[in-house]
Amino acid sequence: MNTRIHEIEQRIKLLLASYLESSNHPELEAHGEITGETNLVSDFTMDSFQVMEFMMELEEAFDVMIDMNSLSNTHTVHDLAVIVDKDLSG
Amino acid sequence: MGLLDKFESARAIREQLSVGGHDPTAVVMEQILSPTEGIVEGRNTILAGTNNYLGLTFDPACVAAARNAIESQGTGTTGSRMANGSFSAHAALEQELADFFKVGHGMVFSTGYAANLGTLVALLNPGDAVLLDADAHASLYDGCQMSGADIFRFRHNDVESLEKRLQRLGERAQDCLIVTEGLYSVMGDCAPLVEIAALKEKYGALLLVDEAHSLGVYGDNGCGVAEAQGVMDQVDFFVGTFSKSLGAMGGFCVSRHPELDLLRYLSRPFIFTASSSPSIIASTHEALKQVKGRPELRETLWRNADRLYQGFNELGFETGPEVSPVVAVKLGAKEAALPFWNQLLEKGVYTNLMVPPASPDQHSYIRCSVSAAHSREQVEQIIEAFGSLKHLLQADG
Repeated sequence: MNTRIHEIEQRIKLLLASYLESSNHPELEAHGEITGETNLVSDFTMDSFQVMEFMMELEEAFDVMIDMNSLSNTHTVHDLAVIVDKDLSG
Repeated sequence: MGLLDKFESARAIREQLSVGGHDPTAVVMEQILSPTEGIVEGRNTILAGTNNYLGLTFDPACVAAARNAIESQGTGTTGSRMANGSFSAHAALEQELADFFKVGHGMVFSTGYAANLGTLVALLNPGDAVLLDADAHASLYDGCQMSGADIFRFRHNDVESLEKRLQRLGERAQDCLIVTEGLYSVMGDCAPLVEIAALKEKYGALLLVDEAHSLGVYGDNGCGVAEAQGVMDQVDFFVGTFSKSLGAMGGFCVSRHPELDLLRYLSRPFIFTASSSPSIIASTHEALKQVKGRPELRETLWRNADRLYQGFNELGFETGPEVSPVVAVKLGAKEAALPFWNQLLEKGVYTNLMVPPASPDQHSYIRCSVSAAHSREQVEQIIEAFGSLKHLLQADG
């Protein structure tokens, strides 16, 4: 994995942890450590609204725009890091 | 996993929703007595969740127009317009809608969903960019997704969020489409169209506004929120529906761009759908006349909306951000919302329950839609029914 994707992934892990801990979503519980292979839907049972809300937070944190179409094949933290990296690469 | 196994999750959702006794998504009205009253489980029930904003579903002129159309033109068109030909009334309604919005061109679709789908899939191609309000209706999302365009969401009604995305698009902003609604149907809040239109002008984008819930309700002539905010001439495409204020079924797109007349050749949801039955077109034509000729309907609607909104606030309920014919009451967790909605129904008030992820945030809401046909007494009865159940929320904490 290249260094930038690794750094992005680390930051996404922190953002995800912060999102899960936010008082807005007490029903979401982290199941173990967040890794690159953590699946947003199956590991945290995030519903579609929560996934979209988290995407918006990522967009703002990295100052990128995520095409909704790219989300259909995006399941893990690593997948997200790849998408963010792609947009940052322009 | 077998093909049918996925329905287990739908079964679980249905069971969760039905714990209070009724499935909020499957209420059966045994009889419709008027635009605002029906019979549910043998009880007289005030209909406060049917989007019948002007109460025209039983309007004698609309009913007569539909009846006459059936007798003179038959029950259906039996196919699509491109394959079977157009009835003159369909073409006439397209022109009437274009005239109503003071634009040159109009298209009629068989449903509001098809209008949004059909317009967006024809307007956008893969590689195009669309900026979509995060709270936009599913039909707008689906149309954008079906088109294959790149879809970027901006925060709901957030002009800063929209501009940031326009900036990031760079030169692509000149060809992008901004998609918003006039009145948002869950919370009853209006889009800041003045600011959005200014951004559209600044970056050279195109603007599509869905006036589904605002047609007949906002503006001096009832054209919608863009008219009320004075920016009609900056909107490139208006879409909307016949199934709310106009009391029928169907949808439309109107535009000042002559290319709209060519859109029908590219729009699969238009090409491959049977056209609306003559009775629908006839009652819609008549309802549009009522919108234009009876501004007092809007006055009554707004008086009722204002009273319901104030009434809920006086009782201490948290409502949407502004008075509108859609009045949403925040109920918090789904566990509190379900019994509240069920008991409202048992008290003879039908409303809409919105629970996550169908609601715009993590809370549950009960949504009321107000009608010009609601009597003052019915509005008071709705308020009273809500008030009598407030203890359910307090117990929930």
